Amino acid sequence: MGLYDKIFKPKTIVLSNGKEVKEKFTRTPLILLILIIATVVSVQITGFDLSLLVERIHQFFVILGRMFPPNVDYIPNIWGPLLDTIKMSLLGSFIGSVVAIPFAILASSNIISIKPVLWIVRLFLSIVRTIPTLVCALIATYIWGLGTMAGTVAIGVFTFAYVGKQLFELIETVDMGAYEAMEAMGATKSKAFVTTVLPQVLPSYISVCMFCLEGNVRYASILGYVGAGGLGLILNEKISWKQYDSVGMILVILFGTVLIIEWLSHYVRKKLT
Amino acid sequence: MIEFQHASKVYPNGVVGLDDVTLKIEQGEFVGIIGLSGAGKSTLLRTVNRMHDITSGSLTVDGKEVKNMKGKELRKLRRNIGMIFQSFNLVSRTTVLRNVLMANVPDMSFMRVLLGIFNKEDKIKALEALDKVGILDKAYIRADQLSGGQQQRVALARTLAQNPKIILADEPVAALDPVTANQVMSDFRRINKDMNISILINIHHVELALEFCDRIIGIRAGKVVYDGPSKDVTQDVLDTIYAGKNPMELEDK
Repeated sequence: MGLYDKIFKPKTIVLSNGKEVKEKFTRTPLILLILIIATVVSVQITGFDLSLLVERIHQFFVILGRMFPPNVDYIPNIWGPLLDTIKMSLLGSFIGSVVAIPFAILASSNIISIKPVLWIVRLFLSIVRTIPTLVCALIATYIWGLGTMAGTVAIGVFTFAYVGKQLFELIETVDMGAYEAMEAMGATKSKAFVTTVLPQVLPSYISVCMFCLEGNVRYASILGYVGAGGLGLILNEKISWKQYDSVGMILVILFGTVLIIEWLSHYVRKKLT
Repeated sequence: MIEFQHASKVYPNGVVGLDDVTLKIEQGEFVGIIGLSGAGKSTLLRTVNRMHDITSGSLTVDGKEVKNMKGKELRKLRRNIGMIFQSFNLVSRTTVLRNVLMANVPDMSFMRVLLGIFNKEDKIKALEALDKVGILDKAYIRADQLSGGQQQRVALARTLAQNPKIILADEPVAALDPVTANQVMSDFRRINKDMNISILINIHHVELALEFCDRIIGIRAGKVVYDGPSKDVTQDVLDTIYAGKNPMELEDK
């Protein structure tokens, strides 16, 4: 920043008692310049073409238009896969959230004082978090075969990694005073944890789980693309057959479901805080 | 009986917490520990239940060397020593009664702790402890809804429910107003006299210490510079403890 200040001289403000304060020149032009350069470079690298975007955008509305009116006769075929989707996300979220607890405890630096344990558990959580859910579902179909089992596993793995990270961060920001008091009283670490840390993190933990479930319903609906069951299965099928009115119906139903789950989750989280 | 013999504590960063301390505290004494912040008052207190270790010398509680205790033995020692903190250290999200019941946790099975199932006798004992500190009517109120003075009494009730022989109090009244501080100190004195519990108390308010405690220990830079009855504490003694600064004046600021 030395060079920048030499080109754009700092402004000197003189106070009434004669003291001088130097106010540096604003950094905004520099930040704008960097932003513009970055945008230009990324457009060149990705081959983004604005004219093509404008030229073909009407096709999007054509497809969207063909979805209306949605094919109401198709509804009976949707309930089954929809139920699968919900089952996958509920069960997966539940299993993932529960399994995450012991790992989160092992990753909290205020509970576990052995550094290598912390590092290994955290590294493990990071690695699991980097696996995209779709890839995880694909691998799961090779192991457990096509169907909802694979989807449940994929959702569970994702939830485990996400909730695990959130939970250990919650545990680390807890007030340790009461924990210290329990230890001073002669309680073991595990008993002190259950009686003092758990009540503090429980509402936030449930809130995180609900938030995760909310996202999982949306994830679960596309897992069918790799054969992991649920709505994605028929969504994929209808799109390839260009039966857009049925696709429209599926999307409407999915939208309704997601809305209900989000509303439920929002309600529960609001009650908790 | 608590006995320090040439006990010293050096922190890993080189700071000296205790410097060759030799003390003997009999069962049932009410001891006030005074000194500047950082003089080693907390360190002295926390070595008794081994929240801190001494690095040399010896420290025995009822004839047993604390330094060598491990696991189960250490927890048994702590079971008999109550501790009170400046910031109360209650679980703020749960009821007063549950906080007091936590005194039973060390003796309960893990399953019972996890599910929060307490005996009826324990419950009655906890309620009696709350009665002793005069806040029985607050038993089913959440701890964070009480005033500071009331919260400190909950902490005191929790400690009493533990049936301790010794109570260590680390700045118990520092966060309280003068009137409440007086009440809490009276609670301590009453418990000390009625139940013959030894009480070691770290305290900044010199006048409270002189009024309520029977014996004063003055600490300066980790060394015991005064040890005697509180009635013998003179201005000269305070000058020595507080390195020439007048604590009464400092408190007024």
